[in-house]
Amino acid sequence: MYETTAARRQPEIGVEGPLERLRAEAGQALAIAIKDVRVYYLTPPMVMFGLLMPFFMFFSFSVGRGMGQEASLARLLALTTFFTASSAGPVILPMERRVRTFDRLLVAPVSLISVLLGKSLVGTFFGLAVAMVPLVGGLLAFGVRIADPLLLAAALLGSSLAFAALGILFGSVPAQNPGSIMMPSTLVRWPLLFISGVFIPLREMDPWARALSYASPLTYAQDLFDYAVSGAGVQGAGLDLVVLPALLALFLLGALKLHGLSRRMGY
Amino acid sequence: MPPDEFVIDARELVRDFGKARAVDGVSFAVAAGEVFGFLGPNGAGKTTTVRMLTTLLEPTSGRVVIGGFDVDHQPYQARRLIGLVPEEANIYTELSAWDNLMFSARLYRVPGDLRDGRATELLRTFGLHEKRHIKAQLYSKGMRRRLSIAMALIHEPAILFLDEPTSGLDVQSALAIKQIVRELNARGTTVFLTTHQIEEANQLCDRVAIINADRLAAVDSPERLKQTMTSVQAVEVAFSGGGPRMESVLRRLPGVTDVAKHGDKWRLYTPDPPALMPLLFDLAGQWELQVVSLNTLGPSLEDVFLRLTGQKVGPSAGGNGPGTTGAGKPGRGELRDV
Ligand SMILES: Nc1ncnc2c1ncn2[C@@H]1O[C@H](COP(=O)(O)OP(=O)(O)OP(=O)(O)O)[C@@H](O)[C@H]1O
Ligand SMILES: [Mg+2]
Repeated sequence: MYETTAARRQPEIGVEGPLERLRAEAGQALAIAIKDVRVYYLTPPMVMFGLLMPFFMFFSFSVGRGMGQEASLARLLALTTFFTASSAGPVILPMERRVRTFDRLLVAPVSLISVLLGKSLVGTFFGLAVAMVPLVGGLLAFGVRIADPLLLAAALLGSSLAFAALGILFGSVPAQNPGSIMMPSTLVRWPLLFISGVFIPLREMDPWARALSYASPLTYAQDLFDYAVSGAGVQGAGLDLVVLPALLALFLLGALKLHGLSRRMGY
Repeated sequence: MPPDEFVIDARELVRDFGKARAVDGVSFAVAAGEVFGFLGPNGAGKTTTVRMLTTLLEPTSGRVVIGGFDVDHQPYQARRLIGLVPEEANIYTELSAWDNLMFSARLYRVPGDLRDGRATELLRTFGLHEKRHIKAQLYSKGMRRRLSIAMALIHEPAILFLDEPTSGLDVQSALAIKQIVRELNARGTTVFLTTHQIEEANQLCDRVAIINADRLAAVDSPERLKQTMTSVQAVEVAFSGGGPRMESVLRRLPGVTDVAKHGDKWRLYTPDPPALMPLLFDLAGQWELQVVSLNTLGPSLEDVFLRLTGQKVGPSAGGNGPGTTGAGKPGRGELRDV
């Protein structure tokens, strides 16, 4: 197994092209994502915040409001992708830091952005998986018609990715206790439901609340789901489709900065 | 040796945590194929140094070059050369040993066709093969440590960092790990290990750096470090019996600068061991005791370590009063008055 002795006395590493590097990094990111899904899918905070919370929110704020089925589905899809996808980061990152397995990722020959992308895929995967519950239920049990299936696919993917990255941003705040990140991140996410067209539709909002809603990432997901499911969005699907990927990039950049800070502070 | 043969080159490393300085101006270089020991007491800054060498922690100032790559500018290239076994076994306890190794293999870009073979061989080497499919949370501490070493070896790194690899392990596991370090080194791996166990450094390392309270006190081979302390010589003797007044009597023998009790043996520090030996037999005769064993001792790495880390050893201790002698402390003053 150590046949390469002579070569290793003088460490020499091959030159690799950018394409080769990119392929390797993609593989590493995927390996990280798959490992995380296997390790963390059944941890209590994941089940609590990722699986139960969105449905709890939905039923406590929707029952008895006489909403249409399309509107309900769009709202549930926005809720699940938002809450579930963004729950993974604040659980996984602090846990990995606490048991120091995160160091294992940091000393590996992989760039930090790939590590964070891999971790974003975890939230994306959870978000998509949980969103399937209302989607399949809506289609089969309630016979909901989807106005634009292709746009729905884009909405599911775009919002899961962006919110998973939001979770990574939360999880990158230097702290080693999942609890001390989980709770504040929930407190930050929760009020967004009121200014993003989830509980109060965008077109029924007071002007000041509507103005505020542009600052909420969730607004763009909710609006896109409205377009996709019922064809009745407000601010233009094109805008939503541009803003969601931009948010993904913004959140990941923020997370990168926070990790740089951690390396300087030493956690 | 030209500098490009050094695979680890640390220059004037400083690390502060807030106002506290954890590492203060540490410089050393490790040549390819060397086993380099970083020896220091708890809190000396060993882990902090390892974390800076392995790109995990940014130095407050100073520079680290690994295999010719400045870790500040080319961390990725540096990381391709290294494996790290941290202080606490950082394995995924929810996964089995096999899955932990497979994940490491993918993370460290081990080609797909080599993964199974390497993992199997490592599991055999580390005695984990039989339990490879059991979740690691059911492993003992020693098994976890061995798994964490195996995970650091799956990509056959040119430079292996081990942070206190044997601390907290039983004698057998510690021996196994030392054996593995020797084998890896024999096959060309450069090893950087930290330890606070002097004997471990003595047995394993080509060179030892002694770090104390954030600064390097010495860097040299264990034997050369010992030679710097020829003044510390001793005779170790065990009698078939003896009373509470033994120590004071030994202390009064000519040439004895200090006395320390080590288990059932007395260690007598003296600049002239041969002259002391007959006196010990005379003494045994007077007291009607047997000399069970008698040895002369050169300075140990422990003596060097204790002196460099500012604790008293041997003669200097004797010269300054109570010193480090372990035996009969409560009653010694009385005995001397007798
Ligand atoms: N993240 C941190 N924040 C603040 N202080 C730290 C941090 N890490 C280490 N220190 C301090 O730096 C000093 C050196 O710690 P370090 O862990 O490097 O010691 P060590 O030699 O590895 O000790 P040990 O033998 O106990 O492992 C200690 O005083 C410690 O309290
Ligand atoms: Mg340490």
